[in-house]
Parts: sequence; structure tokens; C-alpha cells
Amino acid sequence: MKTMPMLIRRELWEHRALWVVPLVIAGLIVVAAMFPHASMQIDSADIATPEKYRGLFGLFHSAMTVPQLLLLSVLLPYYLIDCLFAERKDRSILFWKSLPVSDAETVLSKLLVALVVVPLGVFVLTLFTDVAASAILAVRFHGAPLVRAFLRWDTQAWLYTQGRILAALIVVLLWYAPIAAYLMLVSGWAKRSAFLWAALPPLVAMLIEKIAFGTSYFAKFLGYRLKISDILGLHHEAGGQAAMAAGEHASGMLDRMTPWTAFANLDLWLGLAATAGLVWLTIRVRRHQSDS
Amino acid sequence: MTQVIKAQALGKSYGSLRALDAVNFDVEAGRIVGLIGPNGAGKTTALKAILGLIPFEGELVVMGKNPYTQRDSLMREVCFIADVAVMPRWLRVYQALDFVAAVQPRFDRARAEGFLKKTDIKSSSRVRELSKGMVTQLHLALILAIDARLLVLDEPTLGLDLLFRRQFYDTLLNDYFDKERTILVTTHQVEEVENLLTDVIFIKRGRIALADAVENLGARYVQLTASVEQARLARPLQPFYEREVFGRVVLYFEGRSPQELQQFGEIRTPSIADLFVAKMQGEGA
Repeated sequence: MKTMPMLIRRELWEHRALWVVPLVIAGLIVVAAMFPHASMQIDSADIATPEKYRGLFGLFHSAMTVPQLLLLSVLLPYYLIDCLFAERKDRSILFWKSLPVSDAETVLSKLLVALVVVPLGVFVLTLFTDVAASAILAVRFHGAPLVRAFLRWDTQAWLYTQGRILAALIVVLLWYAPIAAYLMLVSGWAKRSAFLWAALPPLVAMLIEKIAFGTSYFAKFLGYRLKISDILGLHHEAGGQAAMAAGEHASGMLDRMTPWTAFANLDLWLGLAATAGLVWLTIRVRRHQSDS
Repeated sequence: MTQVIKAQALGKSYGSLRALDAVNFDVEAGRIVGLIGPNGAGKTTALKAILGLIPFEGELVVMGKNPYTQRDSLMREVCFIADVAVMPRWLRVYQALDFVAAVQPRFDRARAEGFLKKTDIKSSSRVRELSKGMVTQLHLALILAIDARLLVLDEPTLGLDLLFRRQFYDTLLNDYFDKERTILVTTHQVEEVENLLTDVIFIKRGRIALADAVENLGARYVQLTASVEQARLARPLQPFYEREVFGRVVLYFEGRSPQELQQFGEIRTPSIADLFVAKMQGEGA
């Protein structure tokens, strides 16, 4: 059936920021690489050992990728809060419901856009940006031997870097899935001020807990679900924090993280089960919305 | 004839408000049925139940399906335009065509484009750039290109000027309607649709006040225009509604023969609009 691909296209028509903003940023990165005053200084010590070289190489290439992925942490929550709210705000919900598309298909298409289509699309975009910007820099710095040595294309190291970023991205998306589903539920349910309604319940829950019991377990739990360093395995490294504090290259993070260990973490699976429950609720809620 | 809609003891309450009170009605294939009633009478509730948008009490079968539990498959055969089902403002005309073509297997894209060619609507325009009349034309072009068995129109011409309203109904009759298809239309502008309806259902405070084929109305209802004195003589025959116009009295009777009444004055079959007013105001209104 052509329904699901069309529902996804529909989302990208309506929420153009999801692809326009990453494209603009990708364009800016490539343009910045062409600017004459971009400078790059590399000491021979920086790439003296294969580990150091790989670390610096990873840092350089993740600099092309990670900012875009961080940007998604703004774009996607915004999208999720708006996605089911907008069709009631502009009173088009009955138009969409007049067509043979089920509520489940509609809700799932929106979740798919937020957790698969846009993140993976932006990731692929960053790969092209990275290759294009690196190629431009390699041409411009071909006079500087050390830089040239550093910018030399290294498929293995590049795949290592990007593969690790992709693995981390997938784990983070799965870890955040219940939050995404919660935002979507609020989006489908709130009659007005969906943004406020998304923030209010957790704040009220924290406040009530603090007043009633003087504890802050809920706040801690929320902090735990919002933090990604643990699920990426960065806490296993005993000296990790100290090394960071000592000003070690952020590149070390790429080597230290172990995203695959997340799949052995029960909390990830519990989160996914909660996601399924919230999505089911969201479908029920949309089923009962018949006008604004 | 096959039944497209069958409602038995159909009910719906919103809190203490009884929007539909155990109503019964049938709609047969190939008819153009007007569901007519004042605001708040339960028209929209009935339509929402038929379109599977709300749960209901009693029994309701639309195209052989329960509209609430089998809504997704029902919507392949049913189309609707509601005044509240506005098209999203960000949507471009070609995107609307792309979307409907992908999700509605009965959609004939070339046909929709044919309709649009006759209008001033450009395929790259966004809905927000179109006038209200043009948006309705676009919506109608989409709907008319869907080979649906049942078309439901809820106040489809609300807010349109006379020109567009005429055009709307003309297009509907000429390009859409045939013996296979059924149209259910609600409106409070009765005059506008009375010439195209084959059946009427009057709804009043959640109950059916009248449900019949237009061709039967002549045999059931008589409108008598008489002088004040003659009207007094006719009153024992129990008119269900009367009103005074320019010193003469207009009386409405149900189940009386014209022969019985013509001795009192001028008789004729009431228009649907007159009958509507009589039914809404008369009988314990």
C-alpha cells in the first residue's frame, strides 16, 4: 500500500522545518569550509600515534555530524508537540478523517517521522556534508603537509567514526522513544497550549512529591531518562570524567562509549514497552477527536 | 432497493443533553436525502454517527457495516464534506491530489484535474491563497473524483455566495449523481436544496419529525389557503399548523384528501420549505 510513504511525505510537507533547517545548516558547513580564513593547525604530536590520529580524525569528522544531531533535540520535540495539535488547531482533522486512513496509521506515521525518517535522513545528510566539506578543506590545505596527512581520506577510520555515531544515535532514539510518545500523546490530547501541557504534568508531579513526601524520586527518574551518557556506556569508564576534566580530547568519548550495551539494559526495553502503551493511548485519543 | 443506511433506535447523549433520541430511518441507494433541522436538532450528531466519528446507542448500519467499529474500511466507500472539515491552509493543490490518489483507491486523478481546469485554481497554490469559494471547488473536485457509493454533505455551502452555491449543486447533480450513488445532505437553507431532493428527513430536538420520499408528500400533506371565516370551518379537520398571511390563513393538514379540503379555499402541496416551517413550529413546538 502507498499509504504509509504518503503519510510520511505529508508530514514533511506540513512541517518543513524538519528538512529545511538541516539542509540550511549543511549548506552553511560546506560554505564555511570554503572560507579563506578557516585555519587548521596540527602539531606532529597530535597524530604521533595511531590512537591519537584516530581520535583527532574522529573529532574532526564528528564535528560535521554531531551539531546537526544535537539540533534534532530541538526540532523533534517541537514537531512531536505540534504534530497532532496542528490538525485540530487549523480544524483540518475531519478533512483527514474523511479519507480512508486509520488513526493508527496516522499516529504511527508521525512517530516514524520523528524517530526514524528525520534522524536517519539527517544522519545521511551529515555524511554527505562531511565528505563535501572534507574534500574542500583537503584541496585548500594541500600546501600544509601535516594537515594534508591528516585530511587524507581514510575509509576505515571514517567508517569507524560514523558507524559509532550511528550506533549511538540509534540507541539515543530508542532511549528517548517514550518521551517522544508522551509528547505526541499531549499533542493529540491538549485542547490548547500543547507546549504548556507537555511541561506541566512532570513539573506538578515533582512539586507534589516534594511537598507530600519531601523526596525527589520523580525528578531523579526524569533526569535519568533524559541523560544519555549512561545508556551510551560512558559511565563504565572509571577515569572518563577525570579524563574529560583534564581536558582530554572529546574524541576519546567516541572510543569509550559502548552503545550496544544498552540492549542488555532492562530500562531500555521497559521504555519501549511504555512507548507502545503511550502510542496505543494516542491512537485512542485521536479516534475520539471529531472536531476542534 | 438496497439500503445504504439503516438506523434503529439510534441514540446519542452528551451529558444530560439527548442529542438523538432513539430515532429510526432508512436511506436507500440512488436517493438524494435531505436531513433538515434547525441548529442543535441533532443533524450533525446523526452525521457523525453515520461517518463513524462517534460511538452511539442502538443500531446503525452503513453500507452493511458498523460505522464506528469498521470505520477505516467504510471510508473507502463514503466521502464527506463538512463545514468543519476545512482543508489545511498549508496544503498545496497538487499535494492534495497526490495525497488522495495515494490513500484512496477509488480516486480518479484525471477526473479531479479535469474539474480543476474549469476553475481558476492553480495546482501550485496553497489552500491559504484560495478564496473560500475556491477551497470548496477544490474539495468538491477531490470528492467528485472518488467513486464513492455514499456522499455525505454537512452544510457544504455555508459561507459561500449565491453564485458558488448554485454552481456547487449543479456540479453535484450533473457530474456526480447517478442511480448507484446516494447523497445525504444537511442544510438549514431548505430552499436551496428542495428541488434536488428525492427524500426528506426532518429532525427536531433529537427526534424524526418527518421522513418520506418527496413524491409521497403530495399525498400526505395539503396546504390550504383560506379566508378567516373559511379557516374556522376547516379547523375541525385538525390542521397541525397554521399561519396568517395578508389577512388570509394558511393551514397545513396531514392525511386529509384534497377533495375534503378544496371546499374551504385554495389547496396545493406545500413546498419542502413551508412544510419544514410547519413541522418545526406546529405540533407542540
